[in-house]
Amino acid sequence: MSLSSLPTAAAEYDWGIVWDNRSMLLNGLVTALEVSAVALIISMVFGMALALIRLGRAPFSWIAAIYINVFRGVPALVSVIWVYFGLALVLDISFSVFQAGVIALSLLYSAFLAEIFRSALNAIPKGQKEAGLALGMKPVRIFFSITLPQATKIALPNVGNMFIGMVKDTSTFTVIGLLEVVRVTQNLVAETFQPFVLYTAAAALYVFVAFVLDFLFRLAERTLDTPPNGALSRGLRGRKQRRIQALIDAQPSVRPSTAT
Amino acid sequence: MRAATTVPPTQHDSPETAGAHAPRPAGQPVVELRQIRKSFGDLEVLKGIDLEVHKGEHVVVFGPSGSGKSTVLRSINLLEPPTSGSLKVAGVEYGPGLPGESGVKKGKPLDLRRSVGMVFQSFNLFPHLTALENVCLPLRSVRGVKRDEAEQRSADALRRVGLLPRAAHFPGQLSGGQQQRVAIARALTLDPEVLLFDEPTSALDPELVGEVLSTMREVAELGMTMVIVTHELGFAREIGDLNVFMEDGVVVETGPRGFFDECHNPRTQKFISAVL
Ligand SMILES: Nc1ncnc2c1ncn2[C@@H]1O[C@H](COP(=O)(O)OP(=O)(O)O)[C@@H](O)[C@H]1O
Ligand SMILES: [Mg+2]
Repeated sequence: MSLSSLPTAAAEYDWGIVWDNRSMLLNGLVTALEVSAVALIISMVFGMALALIRLGRAPFSWIAAIYINVFRGVPALVSVIWVYFGLALVLDISFSVFQAGVIALSLLYSAFLAEIFRSALNAIPKGQKEAGLALGMKPVRIFFSITLPQATKIALPNVGNMFIGMVKDTSTFTVIGLLEVVRVTQNLVAETFQPFVLYTAAAALYVFVAFVLDFLFRLAERTLDTPPNGALSRGLRGRKQRRIQALIDAQPSVRPSTAT
Repeated sequence: MRAATTVPPTQHDSPETAGAHAPRPAGQPVVELRQIRKSFGDLEVLKGIDLEVHKGEHVVVFGPSGSGKSTVLRSINLLEPPTSGSLKVAGVEYGPGLPGESGVKKGKPLDLRRSVGMVFQSFNLFPHLTALENVCLPLRSVRGVKRDEAEQRSADALRRVGLLPRAAHFPGQLSGGQQQRVAIARALTLDPEVLLFDEPTSALDPELVGEVLSTMREVAELGMTMVIVTHELGFAREIGDLNVFMEDGVVVETGPRGFFDECHNPRTQKFISAVL
């Protein structure tokens, strides 16, 4: 964009400072992604556990339902203040800002992911588990070999959306001083007095990350397609398919029982 | 006659059935149901079922929809645990037991299911696994067979049902008939004592019924003990060593080979003439 085409006030916009401070901004972005990624992994484990408890027996399923409904409603800003100033005091531990951010996000997103996993688990036909049981498989094995892979495929797009939400929620962690994108931006604004330019750059970073994450999760979803769809999916499963093909080729293709 | 258990094996040796039809085998049955009852809430759907299935026998169960046929099959592998009554498989008690026989040592459901196979109306193949993996998974996780051997045996099983060339296909790429044949291979590979079929051809397009029936015929010829719920009475007439007609949660009438032409109960006759 050419600066001369903007209104006169815009002539004071110094877009060059974004480039000059790119490494600070990108470091902020990396911090935001790190906090979110660690929290995502924790939230997936706890979210799945919560979903299973929620689908299970009565007194426990109520407790899970209460947790889910409370923490879905808590803003990230409040969550991180609870963790950093409240929980730390109660447990008499001092968290680093990174740890506090991870815990705060995990508390909230375990609840969101629990609901996503619950509906994914519910979407799997009853006959799948029954077939596993009828074959004599143990419930744990049925869960990991039959239910979970199918539920993962269903849940994946929503998990991707949650991850994008987590990255954006890290922006509130500026309140505890985590050097994520917004905190970095605030520091730069204090030095340069260019809030419009810098916050626009920050927003562009979030949008860019959302695009990339969406793309990556779509890719991951496609690798789970049956039959394998796309080069990546075929590449990942090619070895297995070749093993099966070898078994097919090694055997006589006529049916001995019908030959007579 | 109302119940298989009340009929001594010798009764089938009467002149008109001897020779042409083998007598019902003596000795310990593979499956023995006595006074099996099952309620869903207030609704009693099985009202005291008696049934004996002997080794190598092919038992056909038929009757109107809602009469409890599926529930009988599903109680045999405890997918629906009976409310009361005795369920013995290979001599071991797995049910609640009969009133006078409490204190009998009970077998574990897992052990029961490892000796009873089941083929479902809707196939229930695992859609995220290839045909070969569908057969392989239970072989490895239930029987603990190592990967190479499990794959080899799965390939053999698929070849037996004529689907080895489709081993790398996913269920979504197979026709209903092919899926059901994979499901039969999957159940067979575990080498069960008895194989249960719950309307295995009811979900199929008519032109695909034949291939599944002929696979079942081959399984029968291998000497597999089978309990088959079916509306294919032509097939039932051909394969049934023991035929069981159910209605409203009770066994109305049972009979040996030739039953479809010789049944006595008017309700059985009415049902057969309506279907055939
Ligand atoms: N899980 C269940 N909950 C409640 N009722 C059931 C359930 N399963 C079966 N029933 C009822 O039990 C009766 C017998 O069902 P079923 O055994 O499936 O009959 P069939 O296989 O002969 O058609 C039907 O009235 C059916 O509605
Ligand atoms: Mg049925």
